[in-house]
Amino acid sequence: MNDAVYLTAIFALFSIGFYCLAVKRNMIRILLGIEIILNAGNLAFIYFASLHSGGGFVDPLGQSIVIMSIILGGCVIAVGLSLVVYAYKHFKTMDVRKLRRLKW
Amino acid sequence: MVIPTPLLMMLSPIVVFLLGFLGEEMKIEKLREGAAVVMSAVSVAAVYMLYLMLKSTPDGILLFHLQAAPPLGACFEIDMLGILMAFSVTLLTFFATLYSVKYMEHDTRLTEFYTLLAAMSVGMMGVAFAGDLFTLFVFWELMCIASYVLVAFRKDLWGPIEAGFKYFVMSALGAAVIFFAMAFLYGMAGTVNFAQLSDALRGQPLNMWLYMVFGMLVVGFGIKSAIVPMHTWLPDAHPEAPSPISALLSGVVIATGLYGLTRVLFLTFDPGMFKLPIAFLAVLTMTLGNVMALRQSDIKRLLAYSSIAQIGYMLVGLAAGTAYGVMGLFLHVFNHSIMKGMAFLASGSIAHETGTRDIKSLRGVGKMMPLTSLCLFIALLGLGGVPGTNGFISKYHLFSAAFGSGLGWLGIMGVLNSALSMAYYLRIMQVLLASPDEGFKAKEAPVLMVAVTLVMAVLIVFLGVWPAPIIGFATAASEALVNGLSTFIGAVLG
Repeated sequence: MNDAVYLTAIFALFSIGFYCLAVKRNMIRILLGIEIILNAGNLAFIYFASLHSGGGFVDPLGQSIVIMSIILGGCVIAVGLSLVVYAYKHFKTMDVRKLRRLKW
Repeated sequence: MVIPTPLLMMLSPIVVFLLGFLGEEMKIEKLREGAAVVMSAVSVAAVYMLYLMLKSTPDGILLFHLQAAPPLGACFEIDMLGILMAFSVTLLTFFATLYSVKYMEHDTRLTEFYTLLAAMSVGMMGVAFAGDLFTLFVFWELMCIASYVLVAFRKDLWGPIEAGFKYFVMSALGAAVIFFAMAFLYGMAGTVNFAQLSDALRGQPLNMWLYMVFGMLVVGFGIKSAIVPMHTWLPDAHPEAPSPISALLSGVVIATGLYGLTRVLFLTFDPGMFKLPIAFLAVLTMTLGNVMALRQSDIKRLLAYSSIAQIGYMLVGLAAGTAYGVMGLFLHVFNHSIMKGMAFLASGSIAHETGTRDIKSLRGVGKMMPLTSLCLFIALLGLGGVPGTNGFISKYHLFSAAFGSGLGWLGIMGVLNSALSMAYYLRIMQVLLASPDEGFKAKEAPVLMVAVTLVMAVLIVFLGVWPAPIIGFATAASEALVNGLSTFIGAVLG
């Protein structure tokens, strides 16, 4: 029962993130989509850590990875947001579909 | 266990930043450039020291960890393959840093530039040395974050910002997908250490989850290494970055993606399983790269598409799945890092002097910038695979590996593509050698930039005429990955 709930939540988060990336036009929403996918990975690590428990404790490895991953995710999104600020200065819009001046 | 001295070069971004900051405060000109060049040279020396250390170990693997032993703690597991990757990375970083001293001198915020350059190089070295998925991911993100900022470094222009944002979205998605796949590998094996992962998963019957992980690894690493159809960011990001950064991105960053893919796939799956999908991707990648390169008018954009094609050739070695194929792959990674790095540096010199990257308006540059053009010619001939250059050697090994492992059609596609690619390389040469238009003037690039490209040109020809040392190096690297897997596992699990 529990397993199915967690796995559903993991894949739901992943799909929501992917949907967000594919459909949304706003740059900040796209960054949120990336963050949601990262969080799907985090949740998966937490869930699998509970499966690999030993001696009444969950596996600390999975949880420590998640803490580092949250930090890294924060760094990545900070860089992304600064890019959005500059993109807004140049293009005067938050719509990613306007960012196609570079030709094929 | 203590961290050995050579690994301390991983602190080079901090050193470069502190000295650069000091130089700015104390108005000492050139302190940061000096620090950056010296630190990148020290990194090459440090990799050589690690190579010597590795040579003297009996089982061909160096194991370093900070506190807990491998199953729990993060660790570096350095084998010959990691050394080969790190060597390509540090060598190209050294050339690019030396070139930047002149090329970037009119830009501002140079302390940040050199710090990020060193950080990107350290990130790639960390990926090459990583002994578990977690270490790999941390250094992967270090490399990615540094490269996002470097692509968008000239933030006052709209081109780099647009290219940087596209690159950022694709690449961050790739990293997130890799992380997701890692979670599932951890779920199946209960560990993230490479040796234990391989011990637990390799040879297991394939199930749905393993196929899903395989797909996600290919997508995640494939985005970074620009495998078609995940390549869309590359033709924007590589030309818009400053030239030394383009050289690094095209030369080694995409190859690092391929390294990650090769390492994790060989640890987790049997080659028989991933042969055909990778072969399919290889054909798609090289064909699309070559066809798109034919229609480009911007010289750096053409070289960027050519990088996609070269990634396709490298995938041939992975699809072959044998130690020989992997040898060809990493031989080509090394040779390509020099050739493509140099092609980008030389075209950067040309763009720097003439102020344009449009191939049509570069008529006659060959007469005005003879040395730079000569270097560019050698690089292009090498990329096309002309005998006498190192590009020929590695392509020869790649395609004969494809024939040797029963994928003859893949080898034929590779040879045909290689011939097709000469069309656009020759077009550049023809334009450069044509007689110049009236009133078009350019002078030879500064001495330092010419010297860097000349040294790389000499390397290309030298390794093309006498490839024995680098082939031996690459053979040892591929043996460590493919045949030495049980030694690898034994050395780590003790």
